[in-house]
Amino acid sequence: MQKCTLGIDVGSVSTNLVLLNEEKHLVKKVYINTAGNPIKAIKNGLIALEKELKIMEVYAVGTTGSGRQLASILVGADIVKNEITAHAAAALTYYPDTQTILEIGGQDSKIIIIRNQIVIDFAMNTVCAAGTGSFLDRQAQRLGIPITHFGEIALKSKNPTRIAGRCAVFAESDMIHKQQMGHKIEDILKGLCQALVRNFLSNVAKGKEIRPSILFQGGVAANAGIKKAFEEQLKLNVAIPNDYDVMGAIGAAILASNHVVSRKKQTNFVGMKITTRNYEIKSLECGGCPNCCEIIQLFADKKLMATWGDKCGKWSSTVAVS
Amino acid sequence: MKIGIPRALFYYQYYPFWKTFFESLDQKIVLSSPTNKDLLKKGLELCVDDACLPVKIFHGHVANLIGKVDTIFIPRIISIEPKEYICPKFLGLPDMIKNSIPDLPDIIDVDLNLYKSKIMFFRHFIKLGEILNKNKKQILIAFNKAQRVQQRFEYQLIKEKIVPQDILSETYKISQNEIFSYNPSKLKVLLLGHHYNIYDDFISMNLIMKLRKKNVTFITSEMVTNKIIVEGTKNLSKDMFWTLGKKAIGTAYYYLERKKVDGIIHVASFGCGPDSLVGEILEKRTRRDFHIPFLFLNLDEHSGEAGFNTRLEAFLDVLEGRKYFEDNIPTYG
Repeated sequence: MQKCTLGIDVGSVSTNLVLLNEEKHLVKKVYINTAGNPIKAIKNGLIALEKELKIMEVYAVGTTGSGRQLASILVGADIVKNEITAHAAAALTYYPDTQTILEIGGQDSKIIIIRNQIVIDFAMNTVCAAGTGSFLDRQAQRLGIPITHFGEIALKSKNPTRIAGRCAVFAESDMIHKQQMGHKIEDILKGLCQALVRNFLSNVAKGKEIRPSILFQGGVAANAGIKKAFEEQLKLNVAIPNDYDVMGAIGAAILASNHVVSRKKQTNFVGMKITTRNYEIKSLECGGCPNCCEIIQLFADKKLMATWGDKCGKWSSTVAVS
Repeated sequence: MKIGIPRALFYYQYYPFWKTFFESLDQKIVLSSPTNKDLLKKGLELCVDDACLPVKIFHGHVANLIGKVDTIFIPRIISIEPKEYICPKFLGLPDMIKNSIPDLPDIIDVDLNLYKSKIMFFRHFIKLGEILNKNKKQILIAFNKAQRVQQRFEYQLIKEKIVPQDILSETYKISQNEIFSYNPSKLKVLLLGHHYNIYDDFISMNLIMKLRKKNVTFITSEMVTNKIIVEGTKNLSKDMFWTLGKKAIGTAYYYLERKKVDGIIHVASFGCGPDSLVGEILEKRTRRDFHIPFLFLNLDEHSGEAGFNTRLEAFLDVLEGRKYFEDNIPTYG
């Protein structure tokens, strides 16, 4: 039986699953909208991989993304890693000469600086989500344009308008103003791409030395308008990896594989039974002390599996995970 | 008399002094509860909207003391070092509190202003003693005793490289072994930020504990001598006149120039005036002159720990990666 690694990236907007073979080549990828329900997304992801999982044996599982803890409890992950390390691991495996990674996802954007195949620095957006995928999504929705066509429409523009990029709220009112003035939609979209890139470079990438070769990953990399705007402002080539949308999951899989192989461990993967189990989440506010922690309890077929969210360990330590 | 002391802001710097001084003058000290969600909520309701997180939390601590004490001690801290200032919010703190919190007991709000001379520190406490109807001799004895305790406290932080809550908190859940399991090969970071942010485990989302659990050694500005800070700031083109900012920059420069740390973590609350300048200087200089990873953690009232943890974990991964391959890194620039 062929062996494979499973990587899961549970992001704010999308949940991605990948299967890699032992040579770390992609066997299959699944891209699912999280749609506010990460458990369902993970289940659906595994169902989509059912055919492959029947003929292959999973020897390592890694999770990443903002829902990585939840995912790891659900599937029994061997390694739980943050998105930055995961993205870098994926990029360096396939593109070893990468020196800069630009990653724009649904809720956050980051820049990762690599020299000699080592991550030496990184930055993430702070409190502001202007310039991330969900903002573009929202604007496309408002203009009635499918997000998949956003990029190609923006590329048509010959005379982009200037849109304020500092803040999503200002950008929106600026866009409405420009649209009421009679600017063409492609000019506004191109202007928005430029504003987003400007914001990224002056905010997230502030003070970082961006050297080629540059990789652009994350869901927003599908937007050709943003890629073009990056290239214009950086005056450098920006490459987009084949599987730009699942690089986080690939990274998690690679890290899991390395982890399991180097330690000669057995995987904790619980298998396909996840897809048939009925999961339920309950949340409650602990009244034990004035901290009022928000406790989350995960039930599988009405049996308590795990509890987390408390500061003191009163809840999380007393429950046995089955 | 029962004197209430809010467990916030300069508590982390002066509490041993305050406690000893008041207790030597036969007063009873009542501390507010450690910061928690309830307290934060109360603070948010009471405080003006544009204040920073620690000031809002301070309001909560004051409210927490109402009904338990006869008077609350909120000194008007203007300057704690000659020719330097503290953030203006401290200057107006007693007024802010009186203005926004109803049904307050008496407030003791004696000025502490060492801008002109350090002798004012002594005069500050003389005045405090006088308010409590004590004679000069009693005050002098209490002051001397308090000073000795304070010096021992500060010395202990420097000598043992521990944090104030290790000494101040009765219930800090960390075994002595964990504190002192120093292993020279592990990561060493500078943890910079105002003491009332990094040492309040609620505000900093247990940052100290998280670093200790990950076996990371850290140095804070409270763990270094004044000499080191002065040494560190001597190459600045202009004197830094924010005391806490100067401490951060001095510590950073001293360690950076001697290449003694793997990275810097700077913690600041959202909307902090002095830190908008200090943080910028720190970040730019660290990157430009020393090529050492710098992590800026911005704190506000949101309780989303996930983003905080992601940044911290990724940062430690970067440091580990760099340390592991240290010999292969050329001096790029």
